[in-house]
Amino acid sequence: MKLPAFLRLSPEITPYVLLSPFAILFFVFGMFPLVFSLYLAFQSWEPTSGLSAMQFVGFDNFVFSLQDEWFWKSLKNTAWLAVASGVPQHLVAIPLAVFIHTSFKRLRNGVVGAYFLPYITSTVAIAIMFSSLFSTDYGVVNTALHALFGGENIDWLGQPENIKPAIAMIVFWRYLGFNVVLYLAALQTIPKDLYEAATMDGAGRLQQFFYITLPSLKPMIYFGVTLSVIGGLQLFEEPFILTGGRGGSDQSGMTTAIYLYRMAFDFNDFGAASAMSWLLFFLVVILTYLTNQAFKPRNAGG
Amino acid sequence: MGQQQQVRVSGRALWRVRLLVWGIVGLAPFPAAAQQQLTVAAYPAVDKIVEAAIPAWKKLHPHVAIKVVSRQFADHHTAMTTALSTRFYLPDVMALEVGYVGRFAQGGGLEDLVKPPYNIRSVQAQFVPYALAQATARTGAIVAVPTDIGPGTLLVRTDVLAKAGVSEAELTKSWESYVAAGVKIKQGTGAYLMAHARDMKNILIRTGIQPGEGLYFDKDSKVLVTSPRFVRAFELAREVRRNKLDARVSEWSNEWSEGFKRGTLATQLTGAWLAGHLNNWLAPGTAGKWRALQLPEGAFAAYGGTFLAIPRGAPAANKPLAWEFIKLLTLDRELQLQAFKSQDAFPALLSSYDDPFFEQPIAFLGGQAARVQWREATQRIVAVSVHKQDAFAGEVIDTELDKVLDQGKDIPTALADAARLLAKRANR
Amino acid sequence: MNSNRLAPWAAYVIVGVGALIMLAPFYFMFVFATQSRTEIFSLPPPMWFGDDFFNNLKILTERIPFWRNLGWSLYVAVANTALTLLFCSMGGYAFGCFDFRYKNALFAFVMATMLLPSFMNMIPTFMIMDALGWIDQPRALYIPGAASAFGIFLMRQFVTTSIPKDLIEAARMDGCSELGIYWRIVLPLLKPALGTLGLITFIASWNNFIGPLIVMRSPENYTLPLALRSLQSPVDTEWGALMTGSAIATIPLVVLFMLSSRQLISGLTAGAVK
Repeated sequence: MKLPAFLRLSPEITPYVLLSPFAILFFVFGMFPLVFSLYLAFQSWEPTSGLSAMQFVGFDNFVFSLQDEWFWKSLKNTAWLAVASGVPQHLVAIPLAVFIHTSFKRLRNGVVGAYFLPYITSTVAIAIMFSSLFSTDYGVVNTALHALFGGENIDWLGQPENIKPAIAMIVFWRYLGFNVVLYLAALQTIPKDLYEAATMDGAGRLQQFFYITLPSLKPMIYFGVTLSVIGGLQLFEEPFILTGGRGGSDQSGMTTAIYLYRMAFDFNDFGAASAMSWLLFFLVVILTYLTNQAFKPRNAGG
Repeated sequence: MGQQQQVRVSGRALWRVRLLVWGIVGLAPFPAAAQQQLTVAAYPAVDKIVEAAIPAWKKLHPHVAIKVVSRQFADHHTAMTTALSTRFYLPDVMALEVGYVGRFAQGGGLEDLVKPPYNIRSVQAQFVPYALAQATARTGAIVAVPTDIGPGTLLVRTDVLAKAGVSEAELTKSWESYVAAGVKIKQGTGAYLMAHARDMKNILIRTGIQPGEGLYFDKDSKVLVTSPRFVRAFELAREVRRNKLDARVSEWSNEWSEGFKRGTLATQLTGAWLAGHLNNWLAPGTAGKWRALQLPEGAFAAYGGTFLAIPRGAPAANKPLAWEFIKLLTLDRELQLQAFKSQDAFPALLSSYDDPFFEQPIAFLGGQAARVQWREATQRIVAVSVHKQDAFAGEVIDTELDKVLDQGKDIPTALADAARLLAKRANR
Repeated sequence: MNSNRLAPWAAYVIVGVGALIMLAPFYFMFVFATQSRTEIFSLPPPMWFGDDFFNNLKILTERIPFWRNLGWSLYVAVANTALTLLFCSMGGYAFGCFDFRYKNALFAFVMATMLLPSFMNMIPTFMIMDALGWIDQPRALYIPGAASAFGIFLMRQFVTTSIPKDLIEAARMDGCSELGIYWRIVLPLLKPALGTLGLITFIASWNNFIGPLIVMRSPENYTLPLALRSLQSPVDTEWGALMTGSAIATIPLVVLFMLSSRQLISGLTAGAVK
């Protein structure tokens, strides 16, 4: 089926045509909010007064944010949570994926499915589940810990120092399966002959893991870690539902994203919230760039 | 031939008649009472109260439909903030919880009901005084009408008190005696006096507010958290914690409801409506073992309350009808009582207070006619003026209290730290 | 050597226990769906199924137009997924196989927008939707989402690794039109990626509640997350009904996952292996 000549695209303009639907949508729905939020960062605005109530305040919002104790507290919380929930995810997902890849044939889909289910579960359900599971006196978590290690029941949701680990556990639970799936997929593309050759050369399983598997997974690790960095820095849902939207005692569960939300909708200070979101943005850009640099292939050929 | 002609003529005539009739019906405008619609935005359980009022509305305005848009509590207020900020798609009537009324009042997005055609001053005296004061902005504009209020009360377990040998008077004479009674209860029965020490702090900081003062800031945005009422609140809370009188559970958690079921929580400082919930689903097995008292030391406070407002940006043609609807919900004695009976929504309308329903004994409370007591309480609650940073201040004070209670932080230092943090934001 | 022989069954046990831990909350969601709220709120929480399922269902369907909301969720998720797959595959192909001016800058710009929290966009999005007249309409939910930065990222990753440039050149030589190449050569090769992106997009659309919160004005038009949230009252939530609704809401996602798991596993592959 050949199109008439005037409708056929040349290779030069094809990319623009292909990109146009995305670009149009992006421009209409993505640009305006970006510009609006940038504009708002320089205004003082209490939303319920209406749009006309905006007042230009220059860099005041940025200065305020950078001097705000709670902003820095939230950044620390976010960093802690991003690392504490992100690192174990990948450290566990890789060996787990390797294990599933090599040891499960028939049950593979079932096992992967079990690990993937948390990703699908809705946040409403998670909120109720985990409040119940992390309950101090009767929660399953404490019961299990008590049975295994004895000792007193941990007040997960009431004590500031316990909220962060609780949140980290939930995030880990939620995204482990997602990363397992990523790595499992990558594992399937590593040629088997590499392993066979290594076995013939006398390399043990552990050596093969470190010298063949890991390097081959590097691109997927880059992809997964980038997603985890971005996701971790923007962590909102899990701490939000676990602390009832407030960030917990002593704001120990308050990530920057939650603080932004509260600034905007609870404390009605949209200007400062916008300024903070841009500060967070720059932080994420820097960190993503650093991640990029860390994973950049040192020599051509990967 | 003649007959055929007749038939043909009448056939044609019939068609002409038909055309004429259809023409009239099709082209004629519908009767002037076209379906108008009022949108009411609310959240559970206010939505049920609004829906219950629709039959009464229909009798007065049969051609005006009411559409109720209900969202989860926080979602609703977020959506209202969004709508007010852009002035698009505002509902005709907006339900607001007491915690949000102050904020929205300062914003200027709600109609001032003092002005014509609303003229709320003509009906002002019919409402519980503090409630209307709560909806008054600093400019004197009254922006919302109370539809229900939540008088504070002290719910106590009579069986636990009896076992510990504590009398009700001991509990309510003063806050100090309340705490002392708690020690006796702990020793005698092992039960906790309260769910969390912060519950007591929340009431204590409301006592002794001077005119011109808000809860955390005064009218000039000066920070008030180092004043004596805060010091006393913190000291008593610390006393409670030191004596291990609080169960350290948050409201609406599993442990909290379990505490009621098992009788390990002897008292609860709360709104009167909790009795209904305890009876319905939280701890139905404990019916008859409770009594309601006034808050200790003559304190009177409100826990919750719903208001109805008209956004300024709502379609102008609907505003008079919106006002009629609000008046129906808030000034109609029968509807207020109906909401009270079905949803435990304590009326804000004074004229409903003479209904015999108030004198009825409440089985859950061991036959006590507690509504009489609550009715008295409503007259004595004082409105507290609202400041934009109140929500933030509440968090900061809670945090400092936790540090005092859990980490032994010194009270003057804690309050000074809080003051410092609040001073930075007081004028934003 | 000994550790190698010991490892296998111990590893199986660990993985098995892990799987059970992963499943536990899910299991409890279904258990709670069959209990009344008094039982849910008691300690210890119920461990086995109860008999309140139908009662909860009754409360659920009385309070909200549940089935209708489910239908809307389905409609929006399917439309969103279809559009996203189409637009992002086109865009990913463009970024991956063509060279054009500002390519890298544009891509970086698109990536950058993934970094702003979505709720900050609530008010400007509301303004746009009002200007377009899309308030209270499902198209406001499924059209904007099609410009997904994540989708383009994934597609480009794939295209650069699994579409050989010579294949395209050969097709051009044969006289195939550019759009024809896209439709008949590139798309079939992208099937695994499409399966993956499709699943992830569907899940995200299904669970999204901020979008509907901004745009939907009538409860009959809500999608499931918003409708289920509207069951939550500060003091009077029907927990049993809420859990039942959440459990039912999860089932389509589970079904979808089972259908596409094969695609998913091989899908995310090619994109990442350089």
